[in-house]
Amino acid sequence: MRIEKCWFCSSTVYPGHGIQFVRNDAKIFRFCRSKCHKNFKMKRNPRKVKWTKAYRRLHGKDMTQDSTFEFERKRNRPERYDRNLAENTLKAIKKIDKIRSDRASDHIKNRLKTGKVQRQKEARKQLEQGIHLVKAPLALAQDSSLHLPKIKVNVSQAQTEGNQPMEE
Amino acid sequence: MVQYNFKKITVVPNGKDFVDIILSRTQRQTPTVVHKGYAISRLRQFYMRKVKYTQQNFHEKLSTIIEEFPRLDEIHPFYADLLHVLYNKDHYKLALGQINTARNLISKIAKDYVKLLKYGDSLYRCKSLKVAALGRMCTVIKRIGPSLAYLEQIRQHMARLPSIDPNTRTILICGYPNVGKSSFMNKITRADVDVQPYAFTTKSLFVGHTDYKYLRYQVIDTPGILDRPFEDRNIIEMCSITALAHLRAAVLFFLDISGSCGYSIAQQAALFHSIKSLFMNKPLIIVCNKTDLQPLDGISEEDRKLVTEMKTEAMKTVIGQGGEPENEEGVLLTMSTLTEDGVIAVKNAACERLLNQRVELKKKSKKMNDCRNRFHVALPKPRDQKERPPCIPQAVLEAKTKQAEEEKKRKTEKDLEEENGGAGVYSASLKKNYILASDEWKEDVLPEILDGHNVYDFIDPDILLRLEELEREEGLRQAEEEADDFEMDGEELSPEEQEALAEIRKKKNLLIQQHRMKKSTAESRPVVPRKFDTDRKFTTKRMGRQLSTLGLDPSLAINRARSKSRGRKRERSVERGEADGGDTMDIDGNQESKKLRLRSMSRSRSRSRPPITEVVPGEGLKDSAQKSYSYIETKAPVLWETFHWKDGQALRHEIKLCSGGERSFTFSIFAALMFSDIDVDLVARRLQQLLPLPKTGLPPLPQPTIPTVLKPGLLPPFPSIPNLSSAPKVTLPPLSSFP
Repeated sequence: MRIEKCWFCSSTVYPGHGIQFVRNDAKIFRFCRSKCHKNFKMKRNPRKVKWTKAYRRLHGKDMTQDSTFEFERKRNRPERYDRNLAENTLKAIKKIDKIRSDRASDHIKNRLKTGKVQRQKEARKQLEQGIHLVKAPLALAQDSSLHLPKIKVNVSQAQTEGNQPMEE
Repeated sequence: MVQYNFKKITVVPNGKDFVDIILSRTQRQTPTVVHKGYAISRLRQFYMRKVKYTQQNFHEKLSTIIEEFPRLDEIHPFYADLLHVLYNKDHYKLALGQINTARNLISKIAKDYVKLLKYGDSLYRCKSLKVAALGRMCTVIKRIGPSLAYLEQIRQHMARLPSIDPNTRTILICGYPNVGKSSFMNKITRADVDVQPYAFTTKSLFVGHTDYKYLRYQVIDTPGILDRPFEDRNIIEMCSITALAHLRAAVLFFLDISGSCGYSIAQQAALFHSIKSLFMNKPLIIVCNKTDLQPLDGISEEDRKLVTEMKTEAMKTVIGQGGEPENEEGVLLTMSTLTEDGVIAVKNAACERLLNQRVELKKKSKKMNDCRNRFHVALPKPRDQKERPPCIPQAVLEAKTKQAEEEKKRKTEKDLEEENGGAGVYSASLKKNYILASDEWKEDVLPEILDGHNVYDFIDPDILLRLEELEREEGLRQAEEEADDFEMDGEELSPEEQEALAEIRKKKNLLIQQHRMKKSTAESRPVVPRKFDTDRKFTTKRMGRQLSTLGLDPSLAINRARSKSRGRKRERSVERGEADGGDTMDIDGNQESKKLRLRSMSRSRSRSRPPITEVVPGEGLKDSAQKSYSYIETKAPVLWETFHWKDGQALRHEIKLCSGGERSFTFSIFAALMFSDIDVDLVARRLQQLLPLPKTGLPPLPQPTIPTVLKPGLLPPFPSIPNLSSAPKVTLPPLSSFP
C-alpha cells in the first residue's frame, strides 16, 4: 500500500482514490481525481496550469530544493525490520515534516516581502498626503501626529445627576 | 477417397431454377444489342453465340452433377450397400442416367440449330431459330425436373451420413432394440446419442471415437435388429445389417439379461443364431447388459443354456482366428451401463481382440515381411557370469530413508490448520518464521502510511544522524530569519494611523463617486441648486457634526450661520427640522399656562425656506397653481393619518379622497396644509370659514373669496400668505367640535 503522487497536480493519492492510466509504452500516469485526469486528456501541460505544484515550483512560487526532500526517497531494497529504527523513523517523519513546512512558508513569506514593503511605503505616503481630508489644518497644527482628530462631546449636567441613583 | 466427398457435392437446382439460372446467365454474358441493319453474318454470329453459350452452360452443369454423385460401383461396398439400402440403387442410377441423356439431347439440339442458323437470312428468322433452340433445351430440362429433385434430396441426405472409415479399427455394436447399445456408446465415446425408453430410438448409424493404447477406434452404434426373415427387414435394420456385413470390425453383441427391453433371452438368442453368419472372421464378444437389474448368475436354466450356446459360437470365432485357445473371459462379459460397472472392461476386451486380429493379419501379409527385414533389436550378450546391478551411492539411499521418516514425523502447516478449525476459521501466521534481531519484534505492526507520507520511504539506518544535522541547520536558519525580521519591523503604521488611512480612503472614494455622478448627470439632468435645498440636508447640526469630525470647534460657525438666517430663534421652540419626524407626545410636559402654550404655538422661522407652492426653477412646473395641484393630485390616494399640532396636540384625521362637494375642498385645504408651513391660526380660520361651527366665542373672521364647491382640477389660486405679524391671536375651539 503506497501513497502515490498525482502526475498532474502532484497531490497525494491515497489507496482507493483516483485513476491510473497505463500508456502503450508502459508509463503509468496516476491521477488524484477526475479534474486532473480530464486535464491530462485535454493534453494540458501541468507546467502551464496555474494551480499545479509543477507550475508553482517552476515559477519559483514554492520551495524547490531543500535538504528535507532528500529524506523521502523510494528505496527499492527492503531493510530488515528493526523496532528501534522504526520508532525513530516515525518520530523523525513528524519532525522533518514540520521543518519542511516551516521552510516552505518562510520561502513564500520572503517572496511576498518586497510587495509588503512597497505597500507600506505607499500607505505612508497616502496618509501624509491625504490627511487634510480628515483633519483640518488647524487641528493638524495643534496636534501634528497623523491620527484622527478627537471629537469633543458635550455632556449636560442634568443627565449625569440623573444616572447616579442607577449606579447603586 | 470418394466417401469423404459426400459433403462436397454441389447443390442440384430444381428444374425451373436451373432454367432460370442458365438463361439469365446467357442474357448477361452475351451481347444483347442487335439491329436489323447489321450485316447478316454478324446477326447469325450473334444468335449462334447465344445458342452455343446456353448449350455449354447446360453441359457444364449437368456434367458436374453426374461426376460429383458417387458411382455405386466405384465406392467401398459398405457405402454402396448403404446407399442402396437408403436410396435404392436402381432409382439412383436411373436418375443419373436421365441427367446424362438430357445432356446429350441438349448437345444435339444445339448442334442442329447452329447448323440452321448458318443459313438464316434475316434478323427475324435467326431470332426465332434461337428462341426455338433455347426453348427446346429448356423443355428437356423441365422434363428431367423430378430426377433433379430426387437427386437433390439424396444429396442432402448423403451429406448427413456419418463419416465412417471402412478401413480403420472399428467396433460395431448390435443387438435387439432397447438393449443398451446407445448408452454404451455414450459411455465410452463423446458421442451424444439419443437414449429413450421406446424402441428404434436410434434410426441410423452413429459414429463415435475412443482411444485404447494410443490408438483411435471407431465405435459404430447401429439401430436395433429384430428377428425377422431377411426380406422383411426395413431400411433401418438394413443399415445395421449392411454395417455388419461389410465392415471389418469387432462385434459386440448386446444381450439384455433382465428382459427389460421387452424381448426375452430366447428371442435374442434366436436373433443371434440367425445373424451369426455375418460374424465370420470378426472378433465377437457377447455382452450381457443391465446386470444391475438381473445378475448373470440369477437367470433361469434355459436362458443359461442359450447363453452358453452363444458363447460356444463366439468361442468358435476366437479359435477360428488366432489359433490360440482364448480364455473364456474375453468372450462373454457382463456389464451395466447404468452403474458403469464393467463398461471399461468390455471396451478394453473388444479393442484388444480387434487389435490382435489386425496385427495377426498384418503379420501374415507380405508388407510386414518387408518391414520386419529392416528391424533388428540388439541385445548384448553377457560376457561373464558376474552380476552388475545399478550403482546408487550410499548417501542417497540414507537420505531417501530419512526423508521418508521425516515426512511422517513433521507437523505440517496443513495439520495445524486442520487442528484449529479448518480452512475458513484458521489463518496461518505468516510471521512465525521471520528472522529478526529480537524475537519479540515478530508480531510488530509497522504503519505504512503516516501523515501523507510512505513510511517505507523514510526508513534509513542513519536517519538519526541526518535528523540531527537537519535540526542544527534549522536552528541556524531560524536565527537568521529572526534577525531579518527584526530589521523590517520599523516601517509599519500604528493602529491610529491605519484608522486615519482608512478614513482618508473612504472619503476619497466618496468624492470620486460623487464626481462620477455629477459628471454623468450634469448635461442630461438639471440639478436643483443648493439654495433650494429640497431634502433639507444643509442644517447647522450637520455642519456642526462635520466640523467636529475634522477636529474643529463648530459652535462659532453655527452661531454665525443661525444669526444670518431669517427668523429669531425663540425659547422652547422645537426646531423645524424635527417637527415632521418627531413624535413627541408629552401632554402638559413643560407648559404651565395656556398663554405660554399659545405663545409657543406661534412659530418663527429659524431657517428660511420657500413656501410649498413657490415654484423652484428646475422642477419643471409652470406656476404655483400647478405646483399645488400637483401636490394634491400625487398625494391624494394616500391615507393621511396624523396631523400634528404644535406641542403635541395631535389631531387625527383620516382624510380620504372623496369626490365632489365640500369634502373635496376641505381635503384640498388639509392637503395643502400638510405640506405647507402656514400658521396654525390660518388653518383654523380656514376651517371656520368652511365648516359650520358652534358659537364658541370666536371673533368673526373676514370672509375670503373662496368658493365652497370645488371640483378637482379647478383649484383656486392659492392665497398668498398673510403677514404673520398682523395675524390675530385666536384660541382654538376644542377638538371634539370639529366633525
